[in-house]
Amino acid sequence: MSERLHRGFSPARIFAISINTLIELTRQKVFYVLLLFALLLIGCSVFMARFTFQQEFQILKDISLGAMSIFSALLAIVGTARLIPQDIDDRTVYTILAKPIPRFEYLLGKLFGVLLLLAISIALMSALFVVVLYVRERTVLNETLRQMSRAPGEQLDAAVNAIRAAGLNIDILTGVAVIYLKACLLAALTLFVSTFATTNIFTVVVMVFVYFIGHLQATAREYWLEEQSAGWVARTFLAIVALIFPDLQAFNLVDEIVAGVAIPLVLLAKTALLGIFYTAIYTLAATFVFYGKEL
Amino acid sequence: MSRVLFAFAMLLAFGVMKLPAEHALSLQHRSASGGQSDDIANLDLREKIGQLGFVAALSGFRAMLADFLFIQAHAAWERTEWGRVLFLFRQVTTLQPHVPLFWDMAAWHMAWNASAAAMNDPSQPRLALRVKAQREYFALGKDFLERGVKNNPDKPQLHEALARLYRDKYNDHARASEYFAKASALPGAASYDKRFSAYELSYCEGREREAYECLHGLYAKSEKERLPTLIKRLKFLEEKLNVPPEQRIPDKER
Amino acid sequence: MNDLPRRSGAEAGAAVAVEGLSKVFPVPFRRKSITAVRDLNLRVEAGEVYGLLGPNGSGKSTTLKIILGLAAPTRGRTKIFGRDSSLVESRQAVGFLPENPYFYKFLTGEETLRFFGKLCRVNGSRLKSRVRELLELVGLTNARDQRLSTYSKGMLQRIGLAQALINEPKLVVLDEPTAGVDPAGSRDIRNLIVDLKQRGITVLLSSHLLTQVQEICDRVGILARGVLVREGHLEELIAIENRCELVLENASEALVKEIEKLATNSNARLIDRRKSTTTLERLFLEATQESESSAKHAK
Repeated sequence: MSERLHRGFSPARIFAISINTLIELTRQKVFYVLLLFALLLIGCSVFMARFTFQQEFQILKDISLGAMSIFSALLAIVGTARLIPQDIDDRTVYTILAKPIPRFEYLLGKLFGVLLLLAISIALMSALFVVVLYVRERTVLNETLRQMSRAPGEQLDAAVNAIRAAGLNIDILTGVAVIYLKACLLAALTLFVSTFATTNIFTVVVMVFVYFIGHLQATAREYWLEEQSAGWVARTFLAIVALIFPDLQAFNLVDEIVAGVAIPLVLLAKTALLGIFYTAIYTLAATFVFYGKEL
Repeated sequence: MSRVLFAFAMLLAFGVMKLPAEHALSLQHRSASGGQSDDIANLDLREKIGQLGFVAALSGFRAMLADFLFIQAHAAWERTEWGRVLFLFRQVTTLQPHVPLFWDMAAWHMAWNASAAAMNDPSQPRLALRVKAQREYFALGKDFLERGVKNNPDKPQLHEALARLYRDKYNDHARASEYFAKASALPGAASYDKRFSAYELSYCEGREREAYECLHGLYAKSEKERLPTLIKRLKFLEEKLNVPPEQRIPDKER
Repeated sequence: MNDLPRRSGAEAGAAVAVEGLSKVFPVPFRRKSITAVRDLNLRVEAGEVYGLLGPNGSGKSTTLKIILGLAAPTRGRTKIFGRDSSLVESRQAVGFLPENPYFYKFLTGEETLRFFGKLCRVNGSRLKSRVRELLELVGLTNARDQRLSTYSKGMLQRIGLAQALINEPKLVVLDEPTAGVDPAGSRDIRNLIVDLKQRGITVLLSSHLLTQVQEICDRVGILARGVLVREGHLEELIAIENRCELVLENASEALVKEIEKLATNSNARLIDRRKSTTTLERLFLEATQESESSAKHAK
């Protein structure tokens, strides 16, 4: 009977590894990134006194969400790159895999640990951002109400509406969700690269490269699909970029959302699906390579 | 090692599978954002912001880069370097064509600030040339707003800004009225847009009847609309159109 | 066909069976390759303590890794209690202590054991009592709330052993359990191994220090350059058939002369005559024990 138990897939085991990974990452002081984010926000608001509230809110949103996107990508890459090599160097992987644990459970546990960390960091950054923006919005609103106390109701309404329109918008949170998916994708891809990389530096360098190429992937793909006149070397190169690299530009919806473009729900769902699909495929590839790895 | 190669083959196969879906998705993204995000990869942009900025723009730093340039433009404005303000705002609006604020700011700097500075330029003694420079700045402002409207056809604030420009800088009441009317038809428009459109119409020779209908409609619609200017314009039109006394609005409202 | 091996009683009885095992590491970018293990056959019977001995680089660790499924064999196969090492369930009743183990430094001793317990699906009150029991067994109860980063090498080795025992294994594999540990620590570990044997747990250990394990191993195999050169019971291996030693106390010089004469008369040859000494290790142990006990008395 106990044999049955060991053979089966065990979420509890994966969870134990995930929590352990989360603690490990936390101890590596990755949360300093959050401190940096807070400083950036504070720095922004000090510096922004010279702008009108519309300009201020626009910049605040752009900087916060841009920083969130970059920091989460950085956390995903740097956090994941070390996990497996570190365990192999320290031989902790031996003690873990010498127990009746399938290798995919070990990898999933590690990955979920990173995803958990990313979720927590992005949640904290969003909370900070929302609080700052909300406080600024309230301040501007109160000031306006005070200054315009004698103005006709219509003008006051228009002013209040303008502030509301420039301020916090719930759609931004869907943008944040897409940022999270992008970070998940990058974490899974980093995990894959780290299963065959010889050094952590190699993994990080490859991933930085992937990050930039990934943003150009859509352009390369279009060129490949539509430009028939290019030479075969160029076309092969473009084809490889289009097929192997993820389309990271697809996850930059937040730019549009901040600009006030309404993104249809269907489109959002499709983007999310693409992100989940990429994450799954990279995890699968990582597992495949890791199963053949000599430890 | 062979496993790694196999894994890459797997990714390649997945790549072939995902390709149509991904391609369709990015086309949908584009149409959702008004068909302009392909601007980002065009040569025009690359010329404007240089290689480094181009890579940054494509790497998820687009919004931040635009803000950075916007802040620079703001500093240039404080130093009254109008050429630089124009140059920077062209970059900003190319990077972020869907942020109405940037178009609005660009046009305002050109048509209001730079034009006024050009008119009062002490280094140019000839009035005719100063007037010419001023007109050029009006045109630049108009150009920004027209492109902004093209990129954001559903944003009332840009239509409104264009209407103000026609009203205040070109004295073109017909166009001003037209753009106020367009703004008022869009979601999120200010409640005064419709009234402003009617005001502007009341100045147009030959369209008094039309303007009268509009203003009277507003007057009848609600107590709130009966502002001093509206009543003044309505009375002016009543006079001009010889509206029979029993149809005129009562005097006490004055 | 598949059922055949299982039916034979000898097969099922072996805790570890290594059959025709070879491991070749290709050298990247060259036509050469390194053979770490060559055609190895090995059996560890249930309940015995088996020592895999040999100098560094003789293929001991590689063999252990293949047995535990951490590396794949080039040829041949390995089984644990009749299950192939490539199967996850072969490791169900196995505990492993790698050479110079490093665990997660940020965990305390107790947290480490709890983590490994959860990985083996030991939960709740059973995990709690098991952790307490093992900390007691390896003598780390007082250090249970200390981070592993503060542990000495001997303590790490002991927490490693405790970790290997968390799932109540039937087989414990220890890679160089006494390497780099001071004599007192190494004695503690040897005592623990004897203790395991008494509980009926099979132990497979590797070492390059023969003297440290000779007193606890039932059988040893000696590996050299990936080939098993000797195997058998320890006394048999180290006994020299045509020699015997007499150790005398209070013997007068006359008596010794008498014995020498007798030996010469019966065609035997006296090879060596010396004063008995103790081993340095034993001396060290005695000395430290004495100082400990005198310190206790002084209190």
